[in-house]
Amino acid sequence: MQSTDVVVIGGGVIGCSVAYHLARRGVSVTLVEKSDIASGTSGACDKAVLLQSKNPGLHLKMALESVKLFPGLQEELDVDIEFKKDGGMIVIYTEEQWKIMEQFVERQNKLGLAVQLLGKDEARRRQPAFAENIVGSTYSPMDGEVNPIYLALGFFRGAKKYGAKTMLGTEVRGIKLEKGRVCSVITDRGNINTNNVVNACGVYAPFIGAMVGLDIPIIPRRGQIIVTEPVAPLIHGDVNCARYITAKFRPELLGNDESARLGVGLSLGQTENGNLLIGGTREFVGYSKSTTHRALRAVLKHAVKLVPALKGINVIRSFAGLRPYTPDGLPILGRVTRIKGFYMAAGHEGDGIALSAITGKLLCDVITYGTTSLDIDMNKLSLERFKEEDIDVFRKSHNCYGDAV
Amino acid sequence: MKTTDIAVIGAGPAGLSCAVEAARAGAQVTVLDENLKPGGQLFKQIHKFFGSREHKAGIRGFRIGQQLLEETEKLGVEVLLDAAVYGIYEDRLIAYITDGKDHTIKAKKIVMATGASENALAFPGCTLPGVMGAGAAQTMINVNRVLPGQKIIMVGSGNVGLIVSYQLMQAGADVLALIEAAPKIGGYGVHAAKIRRAGVQIYTSTTIKEVLGEEKVEGVIAVNLDEKWQQVTGTEKHFNADTVCLAVGLSPLTELAWMAGCEFTFIPSLGGHVPIHDRNMETTLKGIYIAGDITGVEEASSAMEEGRLAGVACAESLEYYDENKALELKNQIWDRLDALRTGPFGEGRFTAKLKQLDARRQLA
Repeated sequence: MQSTDVVVIGGGVIGCSVAYHLARRGVSVTLVEKSDIASGTSGACDKAVLLQSKNPGLHLKMALESVKLFPGLQEELDVDIEFKKDGGMIVIYTEEQWKIMEQFVERQNKLGLAVQLLGKDEARRRQPAFAENIVGSTYSPMDGEVNPIYLALGFFRGAKKYGAKTMLGTEVRGIKLEKGRVCSVITDRGNINTNNVVNACGVYAPFIGAMVGLDIPIIPRRGQIIVTEPVAPLIHGDVNCARYITAKFRPELLGNDESARLGVGLSLGQTENGNLLIGGTREFVGYSKSTTHRALRAVLKHAVKLVPALKGINVIRSFAGLRPYTPDGLPILGRVTRIKGFYMAAGHEGDGIALSAITGKLLCDVITYGTTSLDIDMNKLSLERFKEEDIDVFRKSHNCYGDAV
Repeated sequence: MKTTDIAVIGAGPAGLSCAVEAARAGAQVTVLDENLKPGGQLFKQIHKFFGSREHKAGIRGFRIGQQLLEETEKLGVEVLLDAAVYGIYEDRLIAYITDGKDHTIKAKKIVMATGASENALAFPGCTLPGVMGAGAAQTMINVNRVLPGQKIIMVGSGNVGLIVSYQLMQAGADVLALIEAAPKIGGYGVHAAKIRRAGVQIYTSTTIKEVLGEEKVEGVIAVNLDEKWQQVTGTEKHFNADTVCLAVGLSPLTELAWMAGCEFTFIPSLGGHVPIHDRNMETTLKGIYIAGDITGVEEASSAMEEGRLAGVACAESLEYYDENKALELKNQIWDRLDALRTGPFGEGRFTAKLKQLDARRQLA
């Protein structure tokens, strides 16, 4: 039987980052993935490394730390992860949004995020594609972009280079405990002896948790994204709209029309090849990865309002990804007290790409040293911050099983 | 929103046969096709069909197309052209583009009869202008009346390769050679004999090593293959060709079925991944049917029979036919389909289709 110090379950950007950081520190690690690298959420998202969309607080602090690591990764990894720091803008198109964003920006500035409000003319000078009738926008030079699939692949290949074993197409069937401690992982390709398991399964993390009797409050939140044909440079850096921020943190403020029910908010960026990625939605529809005509229409209608030039560009594809959503919007990271050797690294919702670097580093610290030297309060990220009796209510109220569809 | 009883996607032999059958039962039928003309591949088929009388043997393909179109018109079937269906969404909503604009139609039943596309072959020079599918060349000569080139190399000796070689010669081109990677000819002996009599040499166990040319095809180097399908150095033959036609099989056009969420099974002899369907041609999604080459590559006669079957089944489920009447009609069609899938060429398809039906049974 194989033996390893740590088994990382999940080959998305988070699992690959954790495996990479552990292997680089000399830990013997085995990555187990049911399908293929970045075959789930990490391969069904956009490419923004957005700081402005993070909640001012621990969330933003982690993102700031994470982004510091990207230039090093661009150098270190054998895959070109296409990291760029082209800045980001959140377009504001009502006076009411302007007031809300004013407060948001002030809180972000206090935490060290360089972001400012631009009036309409200045915003349109930076981003000429914006519609004439916008009110203004924010701008932060610190927002960046990365290719999420290459990033996951870069971490994966890096982990292998440092000696990690990898098992793709391998499904975890169970986790064996002995006296409350992890002792082996059972897969459809044999068992692996190990005392440590990292659950990096994103939206599927609750299924792995259930194998050891843990109730993990992560539910899928669907995001639909549209891809256009490649066009000449049109969009500079990341573009979001104020509604995107609202849909993320306070969806109840969006009202009750169709577009609000779908959680429509603009996310827009252009890939190295010139394709535009137009998002997106935030829907609680269980584990369905279908796209819907109604949502695609709503997303495009909204996008064209803010960037009229999109009207003449052909759509070539659309896809949906499931974001792992938690009750407080923060990921679940670190040791699980009840089961020795069981670690969580999941629940990043739409921020997994941006937070992947810091997540790998934090998990590596916690597993090898028992604590982290980074100024991050791990208690606020622990599974134990949730009360078990609240979790079922959370699932049902967010249509986790897709019954309401 | 536009609605209809039955929406048929694809106005080829399968789609039109389906529409005719369902409309005859009284259903409201709308056919959508991305092309500017209906008929699918029928209108380029100037040769006579094989089989028995009920399969329209002896009638040329384009005449069958004309008959089908006359019938659809008589029965009041709506045919939407320049309608590229790009998705099937929630509650059987079909989204399509016409004249650059987005449209939708909601149907009680959907029949996907999207057909197949030609396979490509990779070799140095395969992207040069002048390298094309044999079906594309056939469309050029028989529909558009344009010669794709003067000096042709045909690759592949299935019926498409053999028939199109002959038609290219009829259209005035010179077929320099027909090359086939397998050790024997794939298509019907009568077709092969006909082009041999016309002076075309057929090279078996031979493939393309390289196509030469700067901006277009200027020559072809063929090479022999050994028993292990490896190129034998020193056996190269040079042909002074300006066009290479590839007749190396077809693949079912299944994108819409994948998108809609149909379950698939893998049957190489039908062209790879094919949607699973039952005896009524219904996929694993309720109310969504398939017919023709999308179900696995066969030929026009069985495509038409599958279309009729789907048409009768849709009409039955919408209660335009009672169970007995529908069964009587379906029995006739099943018999004709079985007859088409006999003989040395049909037997393999018969077994493959059984496998496909079996996949459905295992799911249920």
